[in-house]
Amino acid sequence: MAEASAPQEIDSAGVHRRPWPPEVNVLIGLIVIALIFEALGWGLVHQSFLGNPARLQIMILQVSIEGIIAVGVTQVIITGGIDLSSGSVVGASAMILMSFAQASTYARAVFPMFTDQPIIVPILVGLACGLIAGLINGLIIAYTKIPPFIATLGMMVSARGVANWYTKGQPVSFPTDAYAAISSGINPVLVFLAIAVIFHIIMRYTLYGRRTYAIGSNEHAARVSGINVERHQVLVYAIAGLLSAVAAIVLTSRNLTAQAGMGTGYELDAIAMAVIGGVSLYGGRGSIIGTVLGALILGVITSGFTFLRVDAYYQEMIKGVIIVGAVVQDVFRQRLRGRG
Amino acid sequence: MKRYALAALTGVLLIGTAMTGPASAANIGVAMAQFDDNFLTVLRNGMIEYAKTLPDVTLQVEDGANDANKQLSEIQNFVASKVDAIIVNPVDTDATAAITKLAADANIPLVYVNRQPVNLDSLPANQAFVASNEKDSGTLETQQVCKDLKAAGKTEASVYVMEGLLNNQSAIQRTQDVKDVLATPDCSFIKIIDTQTANYQRNDAQTLMANWITTGTKFDGVISNNDEMAIGAIQAIKAAGMDPKTLVIGGIDATEDGLAAMAAGDLKVTVFQDAAGQGKGALDTALALAKGQKVDKEVWVPFQLVTPDNMAQFQKKN
Repeated sequence: MAEASAPQEIDSAGVHRRPWPPEVNVLIGLIVIALIFEALGWGLVHQSFLGNPARLQIMILQVSIEGIIAVGVTQVIITGGIDLSSGSVVGASAMILMSFAQASTYARAVFPMFTDQPIIVPILVGLACGLIAGLINGLIIAYTKIPPFIATLGMMVSARGVANWYTKGQPVSFPTDAYAAISSGINPVLVFLAIAVIFHIIMRYTLYGRRTYAIGSNEHAARVSGINVERHQVLVYAIAGLLSAVAAIVLTSRNLTAQAGMGTGYELDAIAMAVIGGVSLYGGRGSIIGTVLGALILGVITSGFTFLRVDAYYQEMIKGVIIVGAVVQDVFRQRLRGRG
Repeated sequence: MKRYALAALTGVLLIGTAMTGPASAANIGVAMAQFDDNFLTVLRNGMIEYAKTLPDVTLQVEDGANDANKQLSEIQNFVASKVDAIIVNPVDTDATAAITKLAADANIPLVYVNRQPVNLDSLPANQAFVASNEKDSGTLETQQVCKDLKAAGKTEASVYVMEGLLNNQSAIQRTQDVKDVLATPDCSFIKIIDTQTANYQRNDAQTLMANWITTGTKFDGVISNNDEMAIGAIQAIKAAGMDPKTLVIGGIDATEDGLAAMAAGDLKVTVFQDAAGQGKGALDTALALAKGQKVDKEVWVPFQLVTPDNMAQFQKKN
């Protein structure tokens, strides 16, 4: 059953109660963490953490790229699967699409005859790369039935290989000004939020969304009730691949370069965002809103650490503790509600 | 008949000498830390191109994919296939004792390249290290930044320091170089506001610099462990509406992108690390060891300071 609107519960007194949607929990977590940094900020550096519009902008800007990936991964995990290949698909897509985005003012372009292309060309090339990778993932998982972990792990390794092979490890830089404009200013945030809104609507109000939750909750029941599970799975993984490509476009435009190692670790950050946001790794539970909040939490933490000048060596350790803490807290809350 | 016999004998002797040719035929195993690193790619390609110019030298190059364990397996494979020498660019500079032992036990010469192994002082006679001395890279960079700030008339200045990967000896050494230079009386007018890592990545550096800018602290420069992070810092500075030309920003590597930033006036200092030179030096040393010759344990390929004045000579090198 879709978790989108929490079903009514009847408590011991026989009264109908509508419990809070799970996203509220994540929102509380976000507010608490932000307030902790605010308090520490006054104590340690005598400055307001939140009262700084530039910083608020940075906090969401810096997680926008991984956030785009997280929207796709959320859907995959809700169906009960997982996608480990997102980061490598970002890398491979980035390398390939950038080779069609270079400016003719650069003497060592990968394809001298394809310089100064209108931006629709690298964009379509990039989306095609992501789509193909996602389709391969989906087809293998749906029709050979090997675990998604293994299938996407294979894609993770192969796609990174493609990224390394494409220009033998040389970076692809110096795009056209038009391409650079794609990620100018706060555009990455706008792209992230637009994608989040679109997929929030899709997941909550369309057949696609309901089927995604159904397959994750109980695949057998979904199949028996007439859902073509295999076709849906292919679609979900294809969308995840497509969104990884969108992330690659935003990333390369923002950095004005494509590097073979780009995207390394992004799949784990994306999964962390989803999980903090309430997505269950067992499938059937989670939402795009939760994932966006999870992304914001990671953004707040990253900015918070730099703001407090936390020693770099401690940052990763503390971040890990916060991620696990957020999930444990959510699991406890689920258990208290009798869901487990 | 006698003349023919003499000619035939000479011919056979000549061919025989050619066939029993000395160890100019060499099979070298190369274990790189990772293929998807710009600098290491230049090093690797430099080695490969140089090998092509040498007669009878075959290279087998493996990608460690930044996995120390994988790299160890690759080296075990080299040992098993009895290569004439091994060149290793270690994934983890602390894990080189095991690598040294593998090669020493099999009596195969080994050359470490670019990343300093932790056991440098106890390397056996048939092992060596070819690199550029990281004590020089950060020092050259910071001394030039110091000069530039003085020339701009500053009697007091503050800078941010961007570090590379924290588990990387080069990053640690370069950051130490910065601190050492700024401790000298000549440059003590410069204060470090904060030191954070951006993992040698442009994107991370952009995020870090953007966060630093939001604190509102005034700064006069950014000293970065590499060009990629310096470029990220420059992008963030521009995005915040500031002009990088009014600041002194320094990097290391003199990559193509870095030199482009220097040509645009945004990057004032960088340091050329001769990747191809290190690759060539490593291969020469490996071949010499394979022939049984003695070599210096440490072969240093010099860093070169790059400023807008001399940048033209470094344009094609990376």
